[in-house]
Amino acid sequence: MISEAFIPAVASLGSVALALGLIIFYVSKKFHVEEDPTVVIINDILPGVNCGACGYPSCGQFAEVLVETKDSSMSCPVGGADLAAQLSATLGITMAEPQPITAVVLCQGDNDTARETAEYYGIQDCWAATQTYAGPKQCRYSCIGLGSCIAFCDFGAMHLENGLIVIDKDLCTGCGACIPSCPTGVLVMQEKKAERYYIACNSHDKGAATKKACDAGCIACQKCVKVCDDDAIVIENFLARIIQEKCTACGKCIEVCPTKVNCIRLEHDLKEVKQKKAS
Amino acid sequence: MKTFKTGGIHPPESKFTENIPIEVMPVPAELAISLNQHLGKPAKPLVKVGSEVKKGQLIGDADGFISAKVHASTSGKVKAVKPHPHPGGQYAVTVFITADGQDEWEEGLNTEPVDWHGFSKEEIVGKIKDAGIVGMGGAGFPTNVKLSPPPDKQIDTIILNGAECEPFLTADHRLMLESPQEVIEGLEIIASLFGAQAKAYIGIESNKKDAIETLSRLASSKGIEVVSLKTKYPQGAEKQLINAITGRTIEQGELPFDKGCLVQNIGTAVAIYEAVCKNKPLVDRIVTVSGLEIGKPKNIRAVIGTSFRDVSRFCGDLKDSTNQIISGGPMMGKALFTLDVPVVKTTSGILFINNTGIEKARERTCIRCSKCVDVCPQGLAPWLLANVAQFREFDEIQLLGLANCTECGSCTYVCPSKRELVHWIKYAKALVNNRQKRKSA
Repeated sequence: MISEAFIPAVASLGSVALALGLIIFYVSKKFHVEEDPTVVIINDILPGVNCGACGYPSCGQFAEVLVETKDSSMSCPVGGADLAAQLSATLGITMAEPQPITAVVLCQGDNDTARETAEYYGIQDCWAATQTYAGPKQCRYSCIGLGSCIAFCDFGAMHLENGLIVIDKDLCTGCGACIPSCPTGVLVMQEKKAERYYIACNSHDKGAATKKACDAGCIACQKCVKVCDDDAIVIENFLARIIQEKCTACGKCIEVCPTKVNCIRLEHDLKEVKQKKAS
Repeated sequence: MKTFKTGGIHPPESKFTENIPIEVMPVPAELAISLNQHLGKPAKPLVKVGSEVKKGQLIGDADGFISAKVHASTSGKVKAVKPHPHPGGQYAVTVFITADGQDEWEEGLNTEPVDWHGFSKEEIVGKIKDAGIVGMGGAGFPTNVKLSPPPDKQIDTIILNGAECEPFLTADHRLMLESPQEVIEGLEIIASLFGAQAKAYIGIESNKKDAIETLSRLASSKGIEVVSLKTKYPQGAEKQLINAITGRTIEQGELPFDKGCLVQNIGTAVAIYEAVCKNKPLVDRIVTVSGLEIGKPKNIRAVIGTSFRDVSRFCGDLKDSTNQIISGGPMMGKALFTLDVPVVKTTSGILFINNTGIEKARERTCIRCSKCVDVCPQGLAPWLLANVAQFREFDEIQLLGLANCTECGSCTYVCPSKRELVHWIKYAKALVNNRQKRKSA
């Protein structure tokens, strides 16, 4: 049995709710914005992390521009080929497949290989550490190893391991948000392709100075340049660089490198490339 | 007694070397002369490996408006030109010279003193520029630029900074006692550039009674007023010194000449005298070598480019218990990781310290005691700046007066929670700069 005291309360609140509902209904009709349903569909397909890798500030804007222009060269590096296929199906155009890219660390100087200058007790942040020389490590081009970049990664692809940042290549989507967060610039973007080698060192010091500071540094000995059949390696300012277009991933350079595999590192699966070449 | 209005602290003075006369340190066998001894762009190297240089020869030319010339501080041969650690906390291109032991001056330099009254203003500023003089108190602003304010700014107050408020340091104090005549003449040269209406002051902290007496005796007949200032840190900071002596306040974004003031360091005044009257470029300076961990604390006259290692040897070597070496004073100086850094034009002191027992920086949370706000001489809220920096809110931090912080370190000194307030502020400044660079690129 409902007490009589409830009746006025229910009636008054009910009428207020009804009135507000009518206002909302009226406003939504009156100020209705025609939204392209495809934009909504595409927005749902997109990863929705708003990382900015495509060049637009958010996934929503990317979807809007894509639907408006139907530009098949637009791509979302985070979604990769799967997403490109889905977008193609939805829009009825053939979307370009994005080149998968990944961030790599041009440094192998972890706590065992890189020598330190002094104990650092200050704020545990790379930018703070660079206020006194290049931080605790002797090499001023190195990964400082305090992990300022970790906070910038939306995908949890970075972590510290023995004083060196490590990037999980499977998690890295290539959005590039971490690049400007590094004070020494050891993070660069690299094509996520099987046949890619790169020099994992950033030191422009002369060989002797590099050797003094770190066991895993490029000492610019020219050995890899001489052994390379494709002229794909050049030494610039005491640092070897592999020209990506020319490299055939033969792997000869790794064998001759006196600082061992630390310096010249293979991207993904070398085996697959070799098989392809053989067939 | 005069002092600045807001904030300030009084750390232990520890002026162990105030009664030790300046000793001339012999020129070491090898010198490392940094080409970045000033604010602004580093100098362009003019010498190559293998070239012979004379003492006082130009080896680095000013590159741009705000830059300064660099001279060889002994005669010898250039051994290398390469990047090398700099006591300011960076790496800078450095010219290495192997001394030939002759210490031979280039012709026409370091002559008998002449009377400067005959020189025109342009000649004086030109000589100061050619001598490569920069502010020797610490910041290293090129002096010729400071002495040429825009024509619409009227300079009516010239202040010579003898406050030397940093603990330990006594370099300026000894210079005032041992070369008072040169200090006064240097000040007169500066004052002559701004006409008769400019009033000259020398501000000295009251813990240097002997210097106040010596300079007052000489200054009274020349119309220069020696002002005794309260012993309080940072009395010798440019903005605080102006406030203490004239009562004027330099607001954010303003420079001293906006308020008609010009501040020069004692060492700079002597360098100006030597440049104008003796044609001597800036090739040496007074350095206080102190701290409890050095054999014989001393005030030394060292040539620019002498390595800290040679200095420590000259002063009786450091003890094994040393665990921190600081270039500059304990409040604003930089900790070094190597002794292989050279003395530069702005090195006022080298301190050898054992800080075991002092709690190593383990930051705790702010307890809102507001001590940092009380002591901040710039009237900022350091705890807030540090918090905002921690959360990386770099737009907001600029509204809170980030640019106004002089990094004097008073807030970190008083913080009971051992927060690294100044470090956070420097961190914010570095990131704000980086952001602006990226935006403009």
